[in-house]
Amino acid sequence: MSSLSVLIKKECAEDILSSRSIYFFLFASGLMSIFAVLLITNRELSLLDNAQAVYKMTTIVLALASLVTILQGSDGFAGERDRETLEILFLSPLSRKGLAFAKLGRILFSWLVLFALSIPYLWAVGSTGQNLWPSIYILFITGTLLVLALGGIALIVSARTATLKSALFISVIVFLILGSPAVLGASLRQTGIGKMIDLVDPFMDALNTIDSVVIDSQGFDFQVLRLGIMALYALIVLWFLNVASRRIRL
Amino acid sequence: MKVLTTGPRCFSQRDIGEIEMKVIEIDGLKKSFDGKIALDGVSMTVNQGDIYGFLGPNGSGKTTTLRIVLGILPADEGKISVLGKDLSSWGNELGYKVNALPESHGFYGWMDAADYLRFFGKLYGIQLTVGDCRSRLSQVGLDPKNLLPISTFSRGMKQRLGIARSMINAPEILLLDEPTNGLDPRGRRNIHDLLLHLNTENGITMIISTHILDDVERLCNRIAILNRGKIRYEGALADSSSRDCIRYHFRVEDAQSISSDWNIPGISVVESREDRLVCQIDGLSPAHAIKSLIEAGMPIAEAEQITGGLEEIYFAYTRGATDE
Repeated sequence: MSSLSVLIKKECAEDILSSRSIYFFLFASGLMSIFAVLLITNRELSLLDNAQAVYKMTTIVLALASLVTILQGSDGFAGERDRETLEILFLSPLSRKGLAFAKLGRILFSWLVLFALSIPYLWAVGSTGQNLWPSIYILFITGTLLVLALGGIALIVSARTATLKSALFISVIVFLILGSPAVLGASLRQTGIGKMIDLVDPFMDALNTIDSVVIDSQGFDFQVLRLGIMALYALIVLWFLNVASRRIRL
Repeated sequence: MKVLTTGPRCFSQRDIGEIEMKVIEIDGLKKSFDGKIALDGVSMTVNQGDIYGFLGPNGSGKTTTLRIVLGILPADEGKISVLGKDLSSWGNELGYKVNALPESHGFYGWMDAADYLRFFGKLYGIQLTVGDCRSRLSQVGLDPKNLLPISTFSRGMKQRLGIARSMINAPEILLLDEPTNGLDPRGRRNIHDLLLHLNTENGITMIISTHILDDVERLCNRIAILNRGKIRYEGALADSSSRDCIRYHFRVEDAQSISSDWNIPGISVVESREDRLVCQIDGLSPAHAIKSLIEAGMPIAEAEQITGGLEEIYFAYTRGATDE
């Protein structure tokens, strides 16, 4: 077993065994349960079109995925530094790059756990419609690309900041900036600038792709541009993570 | 005759003049942080089999030096050779030859001790069986059947587990940063015995960074004193002890034997009362001085060092140092 896979395994075990992660997944399950019950039983929400209900649930899952990604990415190096465990990892023969990508592996693992948890809820709200399976696969693709990009950014921040608090603070600000176009009004988003922001913002690309697949029932070929931009973001962030890993602050 | 000193270490092969092989050579090491100079031309040499005491006040640059030697921090200037090879040419392979017990040796509190060793073993490509883990834990004085998470361990237990972790890859060189910091006297003594055992039985070269002089006197054969980023003294511990005046308190079996016309070179009487003498030893090693006294007909029953030695050397070379 290579050092990298040993570290990824440890990170994943920590994810399952540490109380923080268990609380997060309990919180995520609770939130999705409440939302699913409301979508089915609430007088107003139950009037939503089936595709709209599935779309709402997938956006909740994406928001939760972004949250756990920001938390774990910020904790990646800054948390280890705060817990004084970073130096002993540096002493091992594992390269800094290996260490950074093991941390990213942990983030992806958490995303996969969250994705697996969300499937029953998506089924509960969307089993009677025709967009259940497309919503599951597009959630997986957009979620994975978004988690790679956000997780990479949070890890880069974590590698260079002195404390977990400052890493979290900066990562949350980056996340809010990326998510802010979602609160723009519909008319503003229809302008040239609005459309440009929608296109270059990976968070908006994820939401618009899900919207296009789940609500508009458009095929995969309609999503290539947005998915391509998200993939490009992920690749650029991974390249920067590779560079930043050489200068992880002790 | 009983000699009450601070308890020197068991001397290994390198104390009796065998060929010394240099395992770490540092020449003109410089490092600064945000313009503030941390190391200013540090040069030192560690020989194979040494337990090398790296002394200095807080903020003198000890930890920075060790981190640079471990390849964790880059140096600004200077040459470092580890096991005969330039540090920059080692890459990640250095981790297989050298290990360390950093001062900030955090633990994964959710693991138990055996899991912790198994995890670090795997990082080095070593598969530890249950028996291996148990024997390694026993070696450092930990109960191998203790399956409680590390978060429940006392500081001493964590220190022992840290040492077991640092030994996981059977390193040729072990760097220990404040290994007995915060331990009670018995815990410190146990750690001393363990480190001496590892040095004599396994032949591990050690660098111990500390400002606890008792650790140095019990463990080290060579020392360096670092202050304000510069090496102020480097040499054998025995040399440092005989470098300046030392005062000894002697008890003789027969008070009549104390001669009134004292004429022993390098030894002068400071105070004499009944069967007790306070002597100042200048330019001689304590052992040589005691031998001279016995040869001069003094039936010495007890000897105790009261001033001088490492502590005074330390204060002399770290004068003006302030805790940062």
